[in-house]
Amino acid sequence: MLPPAASAPAAAMPRFRTRCARHVAGTKTASSSTLAEPKLTAKMLPVAVDVMGGDDAPGPILAGAHEAAAAGVPIVLVGPSDLAGQETTDGGELPLIEASEVIGMHDDPAQGVRRKKDSTLVRAAEAVRDGQASAMISAGNTGATMAAALLRMGRIKGVKRPAIATPIPVPGSTPTVLLDAGANAEVQPEWLVQFGLMGAVYARHRFAIEKPRVGLLSIGEEPGKGDTLRKEAYELLAASPNLNFIGNVEGRDVMSTNVDVCVTDGFTGNVVLKTLEGAMKTVITALMEAFAAEDHYKPHAEALMPSLLPLYESLSPDTYGGATLLGVDGVCIIAHGSSSPTAIVNGIGVARAMVDQEMVAEIRDAIDAAAV
Amino acid sequence: MEQGPIGRDEIFEIVRDRLADILEIEPSTISEGQSFVDDLDADSLALIELVDGLEEELSERTIGFRIDDEDLEDLKTVRDAVDYVHDRAK
Repeated sequence: MLPPAASAPAAAMPRFRTRCARHVAGTKTASSSTLAEPKLTAKMLPVAVDVMGGDDAPGPILAGAHEAAAAGVPIVLVGPSDLAGQETTDGGELPLIEASEVIGMHDDPAQGVRRKKDSTLVRAAEAVRDGQASAMISAGNTGATMAAALLRMGRIKGVKRPAIATPIPVPGSTPTVLLDAGANAEVQPEWLVQFGLMGAVYARHRFAIEKPRVGLLSIGEEPGKGDTLRKEAYELLAASPNLNFIGNVEGRDVMSTNVDVCVTDGFTGNVVLKTLEGAMKTVITALMEAFAAEDHYKPHAEALMPSLLPLYESLSPDTYGGATLLGVDGVCIIAHGSSSPTAIVNGIGVARAMVDQEMVAEIRDAIDAAAV
Repeated sequence: MEQGPIGRDEIFEIVRDRLADILEIEPSTISEGQSFVDDLDADSLALIELVDGLEEELSERTIGFRIDDEDLEDLKTVRDAVDYVHDRAK
């Protein structure tokens, strides 16, 4: 694992610049004007925003960061030096951790993190590790975000593999937490048990579900359904006393009220996620086209809008602000590459909530107690 | 951080301790003859964690120390890794 400084960022001595030091140049080596303020806790530290991550970065990322800052969330930007001096709505400036490189959307994740040590992603993850930030958010290369968090923050002790937890909207109810949504294409049965444990903690914190129902995604509800991985995982999940395991669930259950946490491997999870995104987009487009098909439909469509718009909003990925990487020793939000400013604001809000609620510590306890 | 050439024994200790930390096993159970995959159940991600950690630690003592990605597949055993690092960290 990583050196001692890489673990337990919440417990590490906070090394935090004074408020007048707007330009945070470098990370752990830039200690000349760093003050040790033992009273500061992770909850008081800013959220590190990777300004250069995302399809349209930095525009919507900066806009979201400013909006969150205006709402009172402490923010530290991570980006090139020319972003220094970003003014906030109250006349202040957003602090900046300088990073001169960018890991592109098509760069190899592990190589990108290992070779671009002054990249925005690596610097953001180091900021969390070194106690300069409470959490990080990036809309950049998903694999590289995971690699940066894993290699710089480190894994929570006992966690075999971090997993990406994504809220899947369920009309009229709390979302279903799908994990793994793409971090691990191949998994082992016991990893799925850990995904269940971590997903349950996340669902409790994020959606206030007291005893989340955990289901294993398979091709039939009966215990014997599925491939060898699913059958072995079923046995382990069923034998886990710390989980509210309800058995196998099917693809049709993911957007229903039948399950709160849906556990699967990263390959399947990513296919499910992208399929649902595509299907919802197709249905909404078709609906809009149907409304516009005849002129006399228009007043009827307008009459339905007050009911349809909240539904549309509840189905929008922007509403949930992105996925959360569970199992690393810090809070890491992976936002959609095409994130709007609203999505970034919401993602920052999720990061803040996860820090405030000490979710990482609870995952650590859950993994430790289960000893999987 | 201690400066100067790093001896092979010390490199083995560094590799062993890093590996033990990553795999969450006792350092004393790791020996040079062990295969990463067959004996230690270390997959590609564990090896990336290992080389990244080694680069971070050793680059402070050996300027420019790095492990090339294309060399990773040649590192089959703990001994391979120790020899590789020893050769590069001179």
